Amino acid sequence: MSVPDKKTSLGLLRQMMVIRDFEETADKLSLRGKVSGGMHNSSGQEAVAVGVLSALAPLDVIATTHRSHHHTLAKGFTSREIMAELFTRSTGISGGRGASMHLGDVTKGHFGGNGIVGAGVGIAMGAALGIQQKGDKKVSVGFIGDGGMNTGRTWESINMAVIWNLPLIVVVDNNQYAVETFVGRVTGGGDLAKRAEGFGMKAFNIDGMNVLEVRKYVSEARERALAGEGPTFINALTYRYYGHNVGEKGQYRTLEEIDKWRSTKDPIDHFISVVISSGYATQSQVDEMRASVRAEIEDAVAFADASPEPDISTIYDDIDSGALGVQL
Amino acid sequence: MEEIFVPALGMAMDNAVLLEWLKRPGDSVSVGEVVAVIETDKTTLDLPAETAGVLGRHRYAINDEVPAGNTLCVVLAPGEVEA
Repeated sequence: MSVPDKKTSLGLLRQMMVIRDFEETADKLSLRGKVSGGMHNSSGQEAVAVGVLSALAPLDVIATTHRSHHHTLAKGFTSREIMAELFTRSTGISGGRGASMHLGDVTKGHFGGNGIVGAGVGIAMGAALGIQQKGDKKVSVGFIGDGGMNTGRTWESINMAVIWNLPLIVVVDNNQYAVETFVGRVTGGGDLAKRAEGFGMKAFNIDGMNVLEVRKYVSEARERALAGEGPTFINALTYRYYGHNVGEKGQYRTLEEIDKWRSTKDPIDHFISVVISSGYATQSQVDEMRASVRAEIEDAVAFADASPEPDISTIYDDIDSGALGVQL
Repeated sequence: MEEIFVPALGMAMDNAVLLEWLKRPGDSVSVGEVVAVIETDKTTLDLPAETAGVLGRHRYAINDEVPAGNTLCVVLAPGEVEA
């Protein structure tokens, strides 16, 4: 697989490092009670988020899931505004009224995370219909987990995207566990891409631990969508290193299994070796990058901690479009 | 210095009850040894030490309600002194 130029490659690496440090820091703070409503740690899944978002244009649409910090950071939102949202502070991306599961900003093409399994594809499908109706040169990406692959609305939405030939890319951020249920135990037919192919769309099972592979498949899907060739389904196989939610007492998989994925398939370690072997950085430059990421996340925590809580007068803001003039 | 604290678990846990101290101030503790037992709305939970050392003072008493995130005690490494 061809490696992008130096600036792009180092950008991909740094973005994955930001996500990892952000998540591990936020996980500890959540255990300390600093994160309202808990959170879902995406450590291990960085290559899916960064691979997808680096292949999109700034105003392409995404809709995501309950586990969305990595997608949101990779879309270009700052660690400050996301950490502040986790702390439910007014400087957060959703004004401090959404917390971890409701990160979003429709003005920048982020149609939000949500707590409903499988809902992201439906929201992204609607956005894709809007893009088609308006004739915009954009695509819409619906992130979904492996757990959402067995919900009805997912396949209703995929069917509509096919029959209407919508510019939709469905990305399964397949971390292999729906809370504690292993995907292999609950997937009839055993092959998610084949299932999607049955709906008449291009579909691929890919390595979600390899940022360049994810980026390549999404770039090609985007080109097809912009050329009017309709939706694509991408099942990116990845692995989450921590529990479904912070503080989970995981007893459904072995420590050996987690260690095996971390030590042999880690997306950041893998891409560091690519960057070094391409001559883009030395090990000490990689270490410097990691230190600068550490400083960025520490700054984000300090910023969040120092920010005020939202004013009570804002409690009904942003829950309707305002077009109907509803007074709550 | 390791802080042993009441972890905030789930989405709406405000506090926990301290059920039992298994180590006294000044006791030596090893990695993985349970120091205290707490009870949340849903479960009882053993709180082990993640580092070896000597236990500091008990900051709460049995049956105290402890807010999530608060420190119950510390494990002191050689040479460390509790504030």
